[in-house]
Amino acid sequence: MHGVAIPITMIPGNSIIHRTNPLAKLIWVVGYLVLAFLTRNPLVLGILTLLGLILVQMAHIWRGFLMVMRVLVPISLMLIVLQSIAPAFPRPWSPIISFAGLTIYREGIYSGLSLLLRITSVTTIAMILIMTSHPSDLFTSMQKVGMPYVLNFILTMTLQLIPILQQEFAVVLSAQKSRGLKGTGFGAVLPSMVPVFVGAIERVQQLSISLESRAFGSQGAKTSYREVAVTPKDYVIGAVGTILTIIGAYWIIVNSAALDWSRTMVFAPYFALTLFLGAFIGFFIFIVIVFRSILQA
Amino acid sequence: MATPILKVENLQHVYPGGVVALRDVNLEIKPAEIVGVIGQNGSGKTTLVKHFNNLLKPTTGKVYFNGDDTAPLTVQQMSKNVGYVYQNPNQQLFARTVQAELEFGPRNLGVSEEEIQERCENAVEFFGLQELREKHPYRIGFPLRKLVGMASIYTMKPAVFILDEPTTGQDNITTQTVYRLIRRLRDEGATVVCVAHDMILLAEVVDRLIVMRDSLLIADGKPREIFSNHELLASTHLMPPQITELSLRMRKNGSASSPICLSVDEYLNAVKQLRAK
Amino acid sequence: MTSPELRKIQRRDFIMDRKPIIEIKDLTFTYITKTVSEPAIRDINLTIYEGEYVALMGLNGSGKTTLQLCLNGVIPNMITGDYIGTVLVDGKDTFETPVREMAKAVGMVFDNPAFQMSQMFVAEEVALGMESLGISHDEMHARVPKALQLVGLEGLEDRSPFELSGGQQQRLAIASALAMEPKIVVMDEPTSNVDPIGKEEVFSVAEKLNRERNMTVVMAEHEVEVIAAYANRVVVMEKGRIVLNGTPQEVFSHVEDFHRMQLRLPQVTEFAYQLEKSGLADFHGVYPITLGEAEAAFKDLLG
Repeated sequence: MHGVAIPITMIPGNSIIHRTNPLAKLIWVVGYLVLAFLTRNPLVLGILTLLGLILVQMAHIWRGFLMVMRVLVPISLMLIVLQSIAPAFPRPWSPIISFAGLTIYREGIYSGLSLLLRITSVTTIAMILIMTSHPSDLFTSMQKVGMPYVLNFILTMTLQLIPILQQEFAVVLSAQKSRGLKGTGFGAVLPSMVPVFVGAIERVQQLSISLESRAFGSQGAKTSYREVAVTPKDYVIGAVGTILTIIGAYWIIVNSAALDWSRTMVFAPYFALTLFLGAFIGFFIFIVIVFRSILQA
Repeated sequence: MATPILKVENLQHVYPGGVVALRDVNLEIKPAEIVGVIGQNGSGKTTLVKHFNNLLKPTTGKVYFNGDDTAPLTVQQMSKNVGYVYQNPNQQLFARTVQAELEFGPRNLGVSEEEIQERCENAVEFFGLQELREKHPYRIGFPLRKLVGMASIYTMKPAVFILDEPTTGQDNITTQTVYRLIRRLRDEGATVVCVAHDMILLAEVVDRLIVMRDSLLIADGKPREIFSNHELLASTHLMPPQITELSLRMRKNGSASSPICLSVDEYLNAVKQLRAK
Repeated sequence: MTSPELRKIQRRDFIMDRKPIIEIKDLTFTYITKTVSEPAIRDINLTIYEGEYVALMGLNGSGKTTLQLCLNGVIPNMITGDYIGTVLVDGKDTFETPVREMAKAVGMVFDNPAFQMSQMFVAEEVALGMESLGISHDEMHARVPKALQLVGLEGLEDRSPFELSGGQQQRLAIASALAMEPKIVVMDEPTSNVDPIGKEEVFSVAEKLNRERNMTVVMAEHEVEVIAAYANRVVVMEKGRIVLNGTPQEVFSHVEDFHRMQLRLPQVTEFAYQLEKSGLADFHGVYPITLGEAEAAFKDLLG
């Protein structure tokens, strides 16, 4: 399990994005969601993605960002593969090229590309939010706009528990190796996992009594110790985000007919074929890598 | 001179991240010794003993088991000769019955079924686990679970037992059991290395004390010598057992011939002898 | 006047001026399990006075943890079972008072330091209880530094609780309980999973809270030498009942009971008893329980 850790967590830094209040950033995430789901136009979605990448550069979070993308993009490549031959689109479909009994359709390529770009753009802005905000600040802010207190606690606890359980797993593995445990087959699963689970359960039991003894879970309004600063620039950033979303949404809706390139975009047959095969191979390689690292653990 | 069963030469260990946990440690342990390794958390004591079964490998320096360099061996290969009992038994126990736990180790070593059953019988008798054989390890209390942890290494019949804080978290009854067991292990010819903070264990059961501080081995000697050395102990924030401290103070304030005693019984006998004169 | 006698008088004066803060009458509790089981604690009658430092002793399974969980209402409100009797803590009946109310009077600390942590920052961990009680923002920011100072963790507000040592984590758990300004602190074997330096830290905090702030401390522990030095009352449990209840002096003199229960005594006490039994000394049944008392008592004998 060692090679597949995906670090979706805060990356420390001092960029302006880091210093922006999470709520302002949340407005941008919502904006992206709205715009990305209002259209399938690849150009619009591409611009959103590009803008996102510019923000990634401003925040200097490339390393973490790319670590997420190198998992997400290959998975999404499967979308292109599937969409190309079976578009989630109303007929009629215009075939571009056929081979081995499969036909690649224009609408399919279009659809696949839009979906890929949609996912990429939304994930990019979400990663920017998560990687530039301290989780505690983020959850406190979300609580301020209505997220239940208990959910804040659950998210906080989960974030803490993941590295703890990973560490515990490593210790248990060593402990069982000290008892001669060899290999990584099925026989190795139980001795490695049961102690971790038991430890987690014991922790939760004692924690819940400890929390109860500190009045946790009682009814009534909750106050928050932690305060996240709100500065004028946060209002500006939030306002800009809101305005751009509204204008963008309006413009997209008004021009929706003109933006629908699904019947007009032309894909050269060899381009389409290359894209299809490339996506298929890329996805396949990814799956092989994942399996190998699981088996090696 | 007989081959030491464990030997460590110019051992240095640096954790990834740069923390130096052990610096130039040299140590030889003879067969059938009971050795206590003491020091504060962070002194390197646990890091040191983890080298004995290859849970950790040296950054520089060498580790020998019975004269052979242990570097090419894996933890699993070392487990045949050096057993490591974890402080928290929960990290080693996973099976549905205590019996199954006892069988796990020897089975991994490829021991024949017949031999496995014999070893389990032996372990059950040695540790007094008759009533607990068919019980689920997590349904028995923590102190007894620790005994099961020890027993499950015992069935592997290693020449060396490493016990990480064997009496921490125990109540008095099981603590006494552990002391008894350590002595019996030695009587059976095994070498025992204990990392512990239990001062009574270190005074009454152990033959030899190794004191670690700030990644260095700063003292190696008999408990009586080590516990009499006040500056040494103070520098590691350790205190001798209460009775030993009493005997040291009596010696300081009274006569220099007053004995240094490691246990209540020893002091009692000393007083009896004095009075008999 | 010898030291043990002095202690007896001190305790008499001690409770004459104090009011009872915990009153337990005929308490019996049985956990609900699949099989028919014995009560975990039975016929408990105990009064604890404000400002006492009470040590709870007994083997695993003797009922110490169960008794302590009754003190803040976790039993019976969170853990249900067969509950008979009354427990009044700071005037409140724990059977009827919600646990969140009891939390303002009783703070609880458990035996595994890391298992009590959940927050990302030390300061947030301290404030956790206050947030649940809806205490004002300003009040919280005033109480957190005070609580941290009481346990010696000032300056560590922004650290992660999970990076602290066992002793520090346990002190943080105490601070988190103290932030709700309780009068009583209950600790269940707080040092069993802590290294020697951490043990010293925790005992030192408990002693300071008791002596300087008049907090009532109820601590279940095995560290018998520490109990002898700090506690002014020892309660010994066996199979769910209280079998001994008195000053450390009084309780530790019941050497044969301790032997029967296989509980450890301070080594100097055991030594004194053995000397008396061998006819080498006579303590009239009142044995030294600390190193200091032993030095004085044995001076003539061993010097």
